[in-house]
Amino acid sequence: MVSGTRTLLLRVITLGGLLVLAGVQPLFAQPTPAKESSDQVCKGCHEPFFNSLTVSKHGTKADARAPVNQGGCVACHGAGALEHAGKGGGKGVGGVIGFNSKTVSADVKNGACMTCHQSGKRIHWATSTHASRDVSCSSCHQVHAPHDRTRDKLTQSETCFACHKEQRVQIDRPSRHPIREGLVACSDCHNPHGSASPKMMVRDNVNDTCYTCHMEKRGPFVRTHQPVQEDCSICHNPHGTVAPNLLKARQPFLCQQCHEPTSHRGNVGSLTGTGTTPNAIARGCLNCHTNIHGTNNPANISNERTFRR
Amino acid sequence: MSARSAASFAAAALAAVTTVFAAEAEDPTKPVSEFSAGLGYLNNDGRRFGQYSGMNEKGGYLLLDLFLNRRDDATGTWTQLWGRNLGLDSRQLRFEQNRQGNWGYFVEYGRTPRNEPYTVTTAVGGIGTNNVTVPNAPAAGSPYDLKTRRDAIGLGFDKVFSKEWDLKVRFRNEEKEGARLFARGSTGTVPAGFRGNFEFTPEPIDSTTRQLDVILGYTGEKLQLSGGFYGTMFNNRFNQLNITGGSAVLAAPANTAFTPIGLPPDNSSYQLNLSGGYSFTPSTRGTFKLARSSAKQDDAFPSHPAQPVAPGVGGNLGAKVETTLAQAGIVSRPMPRLTLRADLRYEDRDDRTPVLTYFTGTSATSTSDGANEPRSYRTTKGMAEASYLLPYEFRLTGGIDAEEKKRNTSPVRIVSYRATTDEMAYRVELRRSMSETLTGAISYVYSDRDGSAFQTTTLKGGGRGSNLIAPLHLADRERDKVRFSSNWTPTEPLSIQFFVDWADDKYSGRDGSGFGPRKGRAQNYSLDASYRFSDKWLGNAWFNRNDTRAEQATCEAATSAGVCPATAGDPVYRANLRNRSDSLGFGLRGEPSGAWTLGGDLSYSVIKDGYGQLPALPPTSTVPASLPEVRTELTRFNLYAKYALAKNASLRLEYIYDRYKNNDWTWTNFSYVDGTTVSENPNQRVNYLGASYVYRWQ
Repeated sequence: MVSGTRTLLLRVITLGGLLVLAGVQPLFAQPTPAKESSDQVCKGCHEPFFNSLTVSKHGTKADARAPVNQGGCVACHGAGALEHAGKGGGKGVGGVIGFNSKTVSADVKNGACMTCHQSGKRIHWATSTHASRDVSCSSCHQVHAPHDRTRDKLTQSETCFACHKEQRVQIDRPSRHPIREGLVACSDCHNPHGSASPKMMVRDNVNDTCYTCHMEKRGPFVRTHQPVQEDCSICHNPHGTVAPNLLKARQPFLCQQCHEPTSHRGNVGSLTGTGTTPNAIARGCLNCHTNIHGTNNPANISNERTFRR
Repeated sequence: MSARSAASFAAAALAAVTTVFAAEAEDPTKPVSEFSAGLGYLNNDGRRFGQYSGMNEKGGYLLLDLFLNRRDDATGTWTQLWGRNLGLDSRQLRFEQNRQGNWGYFVEYGRTPRNEPYTVTTAVGGIGTNNVTVPNAPAAGSPYDLKTRRDAIGLGFDKVFSKEWDLKVRFRNEEKEGARLFARGSTGTVPAGFRGNFEFTPEPIDSTTRQLDVILGYTGEKLQLSGGFYGTMFNNRFNQLNITGGSAVLAAPANTAFTPIGLPPDNSSYQLNLSGGYSFTPSTRGTFKLARSSAKQDDAFPSHPAQPVAPGVGGNLGAKVETTLAQAGIVSRPMPRLTLRADLRYEDRDDRTPVLTYFTGTSATSTSDGANEPRSYRTTKGMAEASYLLPYEFRLTGGIDAEEKKRNTSPVRIVSYRATTDEMAYRVELRRSMSETLTGAISYVYSDRDGSAFQTTTLKGGGRGSNLIAPLHLADRERDKVRFSSNWTPTEPLSIQFFVDWADDKYSGRDGSGFGPRKGRAQNYSLDASYRFSDKWLGNAWFNRNDTRAEQATCEAATSAGVCPATAGDPVYRANLRNRSDSLGFGLRGEPSGAWTLGGDLSYSVIKDGYGQLPALPPTSTVPASLPEVRTELTRFNLYAKYALAKNASLRLEYIYDRYKNNDWTWTNFSYVDGTTVSENPNQRVNYLGASYVYRWQ
């Protein structure tokens, strides 16, 4: 009954949200493209930015969609840039949209980008956690740099760690993914632009995301291990751990968080003794239960169910 | 050739190359290409340092990087060839050509090495194959470096048909080869001098993973859609590991021997999906995703002539899993200062694998009925949030998150189970995002998870099993979370970041048993500061403390009905697990002259893993030989310098000092009964020096 009440509440909450359709304030201020290019005016004071625009995809004249063909600088920086230039420039002068400005809202900054980049992987941006926490595109991306460090797997994590400090130190733990080497990037697992998945995973859930590289764990198997099939992150911390194999805790403690203490399963963690007593040494519980993710061995043997062959 | 002569020769050669390639000043409006070549030297074996880079052994390495970047201005056609670490085992290479706004394709190759940080000394034969031979008695072996290699090839194609329609095709094929730590084991009489009947039986890795994405996109003024096909396939060359030899406990008799061991089976899936977003008004946007997936696993079973399967069991599992996903979200601003956001997500994973009796020899006291256990889940998750903009650019946000998860189970179990868990979370946040000097946020989240009653764990004969522990992910849990973040710029050159994350968990356990997870706590503090000394010099420093704790309880030797002896020999006890790390770092970047660019970073971490085991009942009992703390120290000092030889050429130098110090006892004083040992140098220090010539052109 508790479950039913919650489900009903959940539906009411969401339906209530769905009813709020008629708003009056734009979520994203839409910059108005200018009818005439002001590029040369801008270049007079901002030549490095002008040059970097020219050399980028935004500056490719053969692409009709590119900002260089949509009004140039004002396509992104807004028509207020003309006022800025007309008054002789200067910090804070005019209504220019400054992407590094701390007094221009994330909505306004993102509106400029979303004019062209609202599709594909960014479809879910507006409803994402990042959008609701005032993260702007320019918080992460360097549009005018010749090389956007966020789009380089080797340096991308530095951008993410500007806010996600815990993960900054976890990636250097003894058991880790090769993030430091640039062989795995945050965006291999997360879509920072928003997704339909928890934790902004790139696939539909945690497991499906892990399977993109660890598909051997998918099974299903003759003998399945319940948490393995439900959510890899019940046992693993993919950002890095001291315990081997990205495990959140060592054995036997990890296993004892779920398993009943019958037989040897409640044994005190130990490095000494023999048999099932030294349950912390070597591979711990896996010394015997070696196929812990599941086994497809159908043998009609009693201990087969316990992942031992 | 003496060292001095060699240096003179190198300098002369460098000058000659620089002269030959001396070029005009770069046109800042043209794409730049870059090539670098050089040599690196590692003064010591660094198994941790080079675990993934391929630089794990003492010696010289070829440093090769490439970025060819061309744009044909007339057609908007980009041609790019990108390569990194081309002289190393971790090489990456990508060729891409696209006519911007029209078509594009790419081909890429990448290798991800993984060198096992432990050294295995073994006499086991056949490593890397699915037929391994294990000595019958402890045998002296020789060192063997376990490793895996992932070689991935990616192909992509893009086509823009019109302003509205476009197509993306992505294909990735990854071959993984090598071997990894693996073993078999059982109870029985343990030979003198060993911990158990455990034998080293390395798992062979030889598999292929393929993924295909075909995505058709529509981009309208208000509506954007993305519909796709996602197909995956896993193919393992080996479906069973055959072991010959070994101790009598594990290898005989043949009908119950621990061979073969099942290896991951082939499996595949496909999915059809549709995602979209619609801007109802300039202030209201909705998004959604619908997906239907089907996965199957019908790989041939492992087999052994002396180990027949149960009657009715065929040649494969015939597993099939159907998954349905539906998600919808909306965000709206009905008033200038008010933003509302809601999201609803439903996911149903329906495991339709046939249920058969795979083990026919169960008894009344068995904790299984012998059948396989397909796992199905249904998750419904909702969120509603309101955010209001207050004076002085403060934003107050309140939200509710709800999740209901339903699971199936089998009638006879060994682990406690409940059919449904429900979690409600209530959160509030005060944020200030726009200010020249101080921005930040403070938030508080309270969540409460409970669910349906735990099902009574029963034995095959109907008797009551052990019902003491509520599993970590099913247990009733109350959680409090506080997060504080601030970005402060007191003066123009100085900026300071201070973040705090604090979470506190309380678990209720099963019927007040006091067993299983009891409490959890996670704290993270970080302080970052950066200071711009001048236009040419920038420094930074940071400190991070991460402290997580978990308290859990269990008992030794509970009866099958879950009665704990609670004696001095078999006590009820608590484990207080704690992981605490302190890390700090410093960095400096600068341009002391027009020709030089310098930089350096120093970081140091100490991580302590504690395992406090304390007796609870009887209080006078002792917990034998509690586990020692594991302490890990990580130090890295990195210096780099870049010297401009010409406008389009430079010399890049890099120095790294890396130290990994660890007293992990995992493999200490342990030997498999076949004589295999696993070890690691507890104090690894490496010095790396690299020098590269960098040439740029247009």
